[in-house]
Amino acid sequence: MKPHDSRALWIGALIVACLLSWAGGVHAQPLPRDSRDASVFRGGLVFANYCVTCHGINADGNGRAARLYDPRPANLRTTDKNDAYLGLIVKLGGQALGRSPFMPPWGAELTEEQMRDLVAYVRSLNLRADAAP
Amino acid sequence: MQFHPQPAIGSLVVAAACLFTGLPAGAAEHVLAQKGKAFSVKKLQVKVGDTVKFVNEDPFAHNVFSLSDAKSFDLGSFGQGGSKTVTLDKPGTVEVECAVHPDMRMVIEVGK
Repeated sequence: MKPHDSRALWIGALIVACLLSWAGGVHAQPLPRDSRDASVFRGGLVFANYCVTCHGINADGNGRAARLYDPRPANLRTTDKNDAYLGLIVKLGGQALGRSPFMPPWGAELTEEQMRDLVAYVRSLNLRADAAP
Repeated sequence: MQFHPQPAIGSLVVAAACLFTGLPAGAAEHVLAQKGKAFSVKKLQVKVGDTVKFVNEDPFAHNVFSLSDAKSFDLGSFGQGGSKTVTLDKPGTVEVECAVHPDMRMVIEVGK
């Protein structure tokens, strides 16, 4: 199986999992577009399409391209960065913030909403109890 | 007076050029464009030692990377008008991608 086939499979699996989760919910109402859950859902799709190559499907920095980089891609599950800082890294890229130059600037590719959704998704994965939103 | 270039002089010029550019004698440079979120060619055949130059003709950043056994590399991100070059130093198939645009892909066949 080719790597990009794998990406498509992950995206499909994520969509199916989210749809099943919604369908099985107590409330069959669709999520309000501006709700946090909706933002996390959309952010997951953005992540699966653009970020998994380096950060991995588990967002732990172990994507298929991770071996190319030193420093390795960030483990987003344990990041101590707040939402504003994460948003800046996404928008401006790593180099602009004195971090890895291999983290591309996404500001010209993603909409503001997509970048906010991405940060919401990453925040939803964070395992650190002391991480500030 | 007419000037007739001597073959020996021509060879010297080529050799000197190779020394200055760091290219092995006989190596070729292939230039590809990144335009409209696509590589200008989907398949390219080159020889070991050849270089491939990627030129960004889009008004936004692109990236070039490959995870292939024949050549693993990431040339980083570069904006409009920017370019990056990679030398293919082993035979095999090199699948090239853009990290910013996951649908951008092309293949380089590196022959001996």
